[in-house]
Amino acid sequence: MALFPLNSNFQGDFVIQLLPVDTENTMDEIAAAAAHHSVGRRVRAQPDKVMRVRKHGTEELFPRDMKLHESGLGPTQTIDIIFADS
Amino acid sequence: MSMLKRDDWYDLTRATNWTPKYVTEEELFPEEMCGARGIPMEKWESYDEPYKVTYSEYVNTQREKDAGAYSVKAALERANYVDDADPGWVSTLQAHYGSIALAEYAAVSAEGRMMRFSKAPGNRNMATYGMLDETRHGQIQLYFPHEHTKRDRKWDWGHKAYHTNEWGAIAARSMFDDVMMTRDALSVAIMLTFSFETGFTNMQFLGLAADAAEAGDHTFANLISSIQTDESRHAQQGGPALKIMIENGLKDDAQKMIDVAFWRSWKLFSVLTGPMMDYYTPLEHRQQSFKEFMQEWIIGQFERQILDLGLDKPWYWDTFKKDLNETHHGMHMGVWFWRPTVWWNPAAGVKPEDREWLEEKYPGWNESFGSCWDVITENLLEGRPELTGPETLPTICNMCNLPIVGVPGPNWEVTDYSLEHEGRLYHFGSDVDRWCFEQDPARYKNHLNFIDRFLAGKIQPMDLSGGLAYMGLAPGEMGDDAHNYEWVKAFVQEIQDVA
Repeated sequence: MALFPLNSNFQGDFVIQLLPVDTENTMDEIAAAAAHHSVGRRVRAQPDKVMRVRKHGTEELFPRDMKLHESGLGPTQTIDIIFADS
Repeated sequence: MSMLKRDDWYDLTRATNWTPKYVTEEELFPEEMCGARGIPMEKWESYDEPYKVTYSEYVNTQREKDAGAYSVKAALERANYVDDADPGWVSTLQAHYGSIALAEYAAVSAEGRMMRFSKAPGNRNMATYGMLDETRHGQIQLYFPHEHTKRDRKWDWGHKAYHTNEWGAIAARSMFDDVMMTRDALSVAIMLTFSFETGFTNMQFLGLAADAAEAGDHTFANLISSIQTDESRHAQQGGPALKIMIENGLKDDAQKMIDVAFWRSWKLFSVLTGPMMDYYTPLEHRQQSFKEFMQEWIIGQFERQILDLGLDKPWYWDTFKKDLNETHHGMHMGVWFWRPTVWWNPAAGVKPEDREWLEEKYPGWNESFGSCWDVITENLLEGRPELTGPETLPTICNMCNLPIVGVPGPNWEVTDYSLEHEGRLYHFGSDVDRWCFEQDPARYKNHLNFIDRFLAGKIQPMDLSGGLAYMGLAPGEMGDDAHNYEWVKAFVQEIQDVA
């Protein structure tokens, strides 16, 4: 377990934000942590969608249960959090 | 006593390129200070400044300018204008003084470098006056806000801002350090006077003066118009220097300096002048939108000057024109959302009629930036003010030192232009910011932006209170909504009208 800084680029928001997470966090937990700083503040919730994580600028989504330390993401790398159907 | 006309003696008396006898030319003009780039001394003697002035003319004119600006201030002081002014306009003044006054004073050093180390006698002559100009601008813009320090500690930031690590101060210091404090005399002539002053000071000092006059702030309108008359003179130092560089085969070098300095200036103005013009200035007092001012002063005039000199438009001109519709809206929202981190009270500027104006000036604004303001407005209307503030920090660009922003809403487009250099991951708000870094990594690579400092543990405790303390923002200095959220009531009325 270790504190790990990422940058969160949340779909629909206007700014990229610093996102402190833990190396043991799953992608779903990371998406929820990112949502805390965007959804309900500047972005509307989309209850019928699932928030998914991908490496910034790529199309492929990380598996929802993948842990951060398994993802290959480095400190301060930017992730996109997008609303998906599943 | 009969006097010779200026034209009969001016060229002779400013031809001061003597042949050094006791030191070498290299010792007299060290390359790292003068930056002559191998262009021989005699070529610099062809430098022909378009605006010629003698010392006695200069002193007489400046005395009149100062007398005018100070008398208007004295005459209107008892009217206590700022007590009745719109709070958004007061914020404009506080942001202006903190961002500008000490930068002007620092410019004394930049002008002094040209005055001593330029190989062009005409440049040295003009820079002497430029140095005196900047001294005046520093002093007058510290003096004018000082009378208001009894009203509010925010006014004290006219002097304090550049002495702190407030994020905006870091951004401004980084830009001005780059274009004027750490460059040779020739680079200063091009990056400061030509690139920054020719275009952008017109925006701040003429564009804003028009808004000030409309807002009834004749003290400020007179002050900044008076300053701009100096800027428009000493900004002309760069043109003749560029001409000599181009004639001597250094066009590419000159072009690169312009491209870097112009972009860095633009980014700073997107967070400073953009919000002032399109959000803080009360709607009824706005002369033009920020974009319209930029189109007139930059797209129209600056572009023509570049082309007339035989240079090219910066390679990113299309990106720049697109950004005129977007960047400052994101910067404004960022400043408002992180409002405790600035020394003025940001005006939201998004009442229903403001939004109509924004949509008219920036088609699509309601769908994009408006979508975020919708959520903010709802939170205020429904009693959730805690959601209208931050619990983390924005990611900061490693070039402009400003938040990385883009277009929100359904056409979401926010991009981190990252770069790994010597094992460190850098983040940039645009491909142009990244390009600036790539032109001279050694110059920029060790700088730590606010986030870098936070992650390096320099800010303790690692939370908002630690960040505010690091920035030097004490209670009474931190920003809050300029209108105390009164603007939200307009939406209550709107909802009632619909019902």
